[in-house]
Amino acid sequence: MTPTWLRWMPAVAVPAVIAAGVLAGSVPASARDPLPGKTPAQVLAMIGQHTTKALSGTVEQTSELGLPDVPQVGPSSGPAAGSLAELLTGPHSARVYVDGPAKVRIQVMDRMAERDAVRQGNEVWLYNSKDNTATHLTLPGIASGKQDRGSRMPGSVATPEELAARMLEKVDVSTDVAVRGDVEVAGRAAYNLVLTPRSQGTLVESVAVAVDGENGLPLSVEVRARGQQEPAFRTAFSSLKLEAPDAAIFNFTPPPGASVKELALPSSGYAKRDLGQQGRETSGLGKDELGKLENDRKAPAAAGGAPSVTGTGWETVVGFPARANSAAAGAPSVDTLLNDPLLRQATVAVPGGRAISTSLLNVLLTDDGRMFVGSVPLERLQAAAAAR
Amino acid sequence: MSRSDQVSEHGSRTAKESGREGSVPRQRASSRSFLASELKQLFRRGRTQALLLALAAIPVMIAVVVRLSTAVPPGRGPAFLDRITQNGLFVGVTALIVAVPLFLPLTIGVVAGDTIAGEAGHGTLRYLLVAPAGRVRLLLVKYVGAVAFCVAAPLAVALAGAGIGAALFPVGPVTLLSGDVVQPGEALNRMLLIAAYQTVSLLGLSAIGLFLSTLTDVPVGAMAATIVLSVASQVLDQLPQLEWLHPWLFSHYWFGFADLLRQPIGWDSFTSNAMLQAGYIAVFGALAYGRFVSKDVLS
Repeated sequence: MTPTWLRWMPAVAVPAVIAAGVLAGSVPASARDPLPGKTPAQVLAMIGQHTTKALSGTVEQTSELGLPDVPQVGPSSGPAAGSLAELLTGPHSARVYVDGPAKVRIQVMDRMAERDAVRQGNEVWLYNSKDNTATHLTLPGIASGKQDRGSRMPGSVATPEELAARMLEKVDVSTDVAVRGDVEVAGRAAYNLVLTPRSQGTLVESVAVAVDGENGLPLSVEVRARGQQEPAFRTAFSSLKLEAPDAAIFNFTPPPGASVKELALPSSGYAKRDLGQQGRETSGLGKDELGKLENDRKAPAAAGGAPSVTGTGWETVVGFPARANSAAAGAPSVDTLLNDPLLRQATVAVPGGRAISTSLLNVLLTDDGRMFVGSVPLERLQAAAAAR
Repeated sequence: MSRSDQVSEHGSRTAKESGREGSVPRQRASSRSFLASELKQLFRRGRTQALLLALAAIPVMIAVVVRLSTAVPPGRGPAFLDRITQNGLFVGVTALIVAVPLFLPLTIGVVAGDTIAGEAGHGTLRYLLVAPAGRVRLLLVKYVGAVAFCVAAPLAVALAGAGIGAALFPVGPVTLLSGDVVQPGEALNRMLLIAAYQTVSLLGLSAIGLFLSTLTDVPVGAMAATIVLSVASQVLDQLPQLEWLHPWLFSHYWFGFADLLRQPIGWDSFTSNAMLQAGYIAVFGALAYGRFVSKDVLS
């Protein structure tokens, strides 16, 4: 007769083995050879020169911006799927397929739903499975310059590649750039390029970009906010294959029964920006938070000089005039923002108007309809609003 | 087959086996017939059939209600509800989605909770354990029975859904979540894949039920405890404060089968789910073994 304690052995051993396995799996594989040392400039050049044309992978995005979470309970697809702010809360995962600049497909995988953006040549389709709507638009001419980034599609989870390119535009005297210890992303060794704002007046603490040690492809972007333990925003490949995906993936015809909208593009030089804007309004998909960060550079040009800019570098504050005064299309207006139920919920009353406060970006909506945006504390926005 | 027949069948067989300890092939053969009789008993039972019928009634109910009512606006109710009128195959998918949080765990709880405690409650357990090596084998056979029900339950929902959907609505190419369209045959395959996914999802819960069933002689207690645990796990999965715990909850991937409706199919959630359930089977199987082998069987 075996003693009783021996019979309970498996019940003790099995959890122990599982725990050991999990621990072993979570320890980063340090056996890998360290990457050859490189200066920040060299790593930057690697990004600039990377020639990765085809890839398929999964991108995981997490945000801790301090916006209210969207509860996802029960068998229905989330109530706010398709809302602009929804992409900024909670985790998201998207599959990305790229084959050259003109063949891109991004699938944002929601709970029991999916949002797709497919580009083949100059044809772009946006599809939302939740309400079974498809939006079609034709890009003007052959894409060139920045649009070659390919992943620059409206209303999708931004790929690491896209974000890194935008971030690195910011590299100047205002920012300390350094290469820290190697990291591993999606099983690949990568350089860790860290950008730290020299100014204390911004909400951004640091931006880290993981750059593939072999081919220079940005694999992850992580934005940290001051005084917050968790990264405020992180998007990273969780798996990556550097092979051309199946060509059939890029074929899209709207399914029968779907309501199809045709979207006309104004053939102006600001097409790209307008596309982002209209895509947001009509299809309900959103640019990400960092897209808004970018506004402080791009918005003045796009809206014909109407918005005002105060401050420099990381402390830039952009003011948008009230909608009535500005016929310029494309300027984000208070109305557009407040049409989004989640954002409306997130606004709080502050002296001089209402504010949407996140850990990376503050937006002040003044009582007279103006809007001030900046990656700075709210007081700076209020000061900028009062100055005029 | 009546209960007393079963008892005498099991009892006489195990008694005979005890005399043939040395003969391995024979023992294997008798294990097979032991399993066969267990499965026969499980599926001939009125209760099991009633559970399966109740599950099959879910798609029928959905289909009839949708047929009799006006069009549902997209985006309301369970996913795909609005698509049913265009394509009957969605009845099965919608019913599977509706069944995941409560109905399937409920039926699994009843079957898995009954495995050992049911025999103990009827006073038949000791007859099954006449053979010295019988306990481990009984545990395995009982678990395989529960697994068989895990296969049958989602399948009943899916097939009833496909059947009633084809009867009441047109059947045609199916739009996947990605917006791509597949033919009905492929769609049926996907539905069976979803059923398989849910079978895997329920294996961990079955192992928990088996363990709980070894703890008590009152089958209702084990059933209720299993069902309560399945609900508790889903509630915990909704609390953002417990985010670190979520990947460890056996219900965490229950809704992950949406990945099977994408183009191309995403297998990530299937694999993670299978690994998680395997972990639960290992842990609670070991616990059930420890408990059952050292238990004093008095009934």
